[in-house]
Amino acid sequence: MINVRREKESGIEPIWNWQITAACALVLLFVGIAAISFGPINIAFADIVRTVLGIHGGLSGQDRTVLLDLRLPRVLLAALVGAALATSGAVYQSVFRNPLADPYLLGAASGAGLGATIAIINAHGDVYSLLPIFSFVGGTLAVLTSFFISGRFFAEPQSLLLSGIAVGSFATAIQTYLQQRHSSSLRPVYSWILGELTVANWQIVTWSSIYILLALAILISISKQLDGLMLSDEESFSLGINPNRLRIIAVSAATLATATAVSASGLIGFVGIVVPHLVRGITHRVTNRNLLTVALAGAGFLVLADLGARTLLSPAELPIGVITAFVGAPFFLVVLRRRRSAS
Amino acid sequence: MITISNLDFSIAGRKILNDISLTIPSGKWSCLVGPNGAGKTTFLKVLLGSAPYSGSVRSKGSEVFRNHNRNVAFVPQQPQIPQGITVAEYVMLGRAKKDGWGNESQASRGFIGEILGLTNLYGMHKQYVSALSGGEMQRTLIARALAQEPELILLDEPTSALDLHHQIEVLNNLQYLQERGVTIVSTMHDITLAAMYADRIIVMQSGRVLAEGGADEIIHSSELRAAFDDRINVYTLDSGRPVVVAKKDGR
Repeated sequence: MINVRREKESGIEPIWNWQITAACALVLLFVGIAAISFGPINIAFADIVRTVLGIHGGLSGQDRTVLLDLRLPRVLLAALVGAALATSGAVYQSVFRNPLADPYLLGAASGAGLGATIAIINAHGDVYSLLPIFSFVGGTLAVLTSFFISGRFFAEPQSLLLSGIAVGSFATAIQTYLQQRHSSSLRPVYSWILGELTVANWQIVTWSSIYILLALAILISISKQLDGLMLSDEESFSLGINPNRLRIIAVSAATLATATAVSASGLIGFVGIVVPHLVRGITHRVTNRNLLTVALAGAGFLVLADLGARTLLSPAELPIGVITAFVGAPFFLVVLRRRRSAS
Repeated sequence: MITISNLDFSIAGRKILNDISLTIPSGKWSCLVGPNGAGKTTFLKVLLGSAPYSGSVRSKGSEVFRNHNRNVAFVPQQPQIPQGITVAEYVMLGRAKKDGWGNESQASRGFIGEILGLTNLYGMHKQYVSALSGGEMQRTLIARALAQEPELILLDEPTSALDLHHQIEVLNNLQYLQERGVTIVSTMHDITLAAMYADRIIVMQSGRVLAEGGADEIIHSSELRAAFDDRINVYTLDSGRPVVVAKKDGR
């Protein structure tokens, strides 16, 4: 009894708010069902449940194909990619102590773009089976190069940021050169850069879910310690953390998630910045203990954005990157303004 | 007790600490004094165990480098001030090592309440640390160090950002700790204050220790004057308290 009163008096409520996490999970579920239901062909909720669970009376024929081979993998991929980008964004922001850091910061995006361009130029026929592999290798190589050039890893986070920018520009320059030489490849590369989930199939969902869920599990398991990186290295060391080792684990996992997301769906901007700040705006907390909430919110955000991309100009499709920026940017500004007036 | 022998520390070929050998007694307040660039802050980081050194720095028989078995609090001169975290939560970080990160125990919550009272932070425990004044932030840092219940507390210029009244308030908080058996090592530019509070003074210049010993003895020593190139005067007030002031135009 005394403890309870004291707790209230000293203002130490639990930093992690499970109600908000649960709300995000509910929203994701709701948005997911909506995204599976709506499209050029609308599918009733009962039919979805019956078909997925294999109960008698489920869909058949074309509707069944639309549900199982098109909608379901696409919604799952959107959720995975959204969770990956949002979580990596939040992690990069705390590792680099920079609220504007995004998952593409260390050259992952440009490297992946270069890899994808090379794949598109050299592929004859089935580009899409090669594209993820090339862009994954490209993105990972670019990040490793950034680390290698900056030399002392995290001795100076700023130098890592700068080498990431340099590597990114270099990769983009090569990519542009290749595009100009092979102008026939301009269109597919361009549409890839704007981000697309149209290619989603069960194969892509399967391998990307392995990497993304692994990376997310690592990040969420270290999320409490990540709070220590808000302090100086000496302070976090004195509180029992090895800051450089923690940063290397965090950045590696976040890069794995980002590279996988980019190779599965192209460059989808703004999720990595908007969603973490949105969660912070709602919870009034900068803490990484909300990482699970960030992942769920990111998943919900991208599933919703993809629903918009498919339905707004139906039957034509908008690039999803356009939707995330169109919705994300103004929303972001509102949150930013509210936070400024709150502090 | 921390035993230091033949301690060297270099960055990019430049020697920051040069062949230091001394012991830091337990339960005492040792103060590092010397001009800027003498290596005081680096010395604190070595004592913390976060900086790789050559030579030997042993506490309870084991080297301190990356030794997480010790419980050492560190109060930096310029802390990274995080956004979106309240005073109470910030002080609670001090319990992270004892309770595990993010698993604050019920007992810790009660303990934090007491510490907030002790450091006069009780009314502002719900404020964000990013909104605190310099003096309040320094008290919050001390409170977090208290929450750690450390065996050793290292402070880098704990008073440099504070007005005279707050300097005394912070130093009294530290004295409270010391009376309870905690070893304190601090750097301090104000040698007068150092002489008032510290038991021992270590005089440093260009990475070397020129002298170390009891505060009363060191304050009148020629080594202290030598460390500052003879640009200080030491006076003794009628009450017997020594006062150190900088010379102007050689006087």
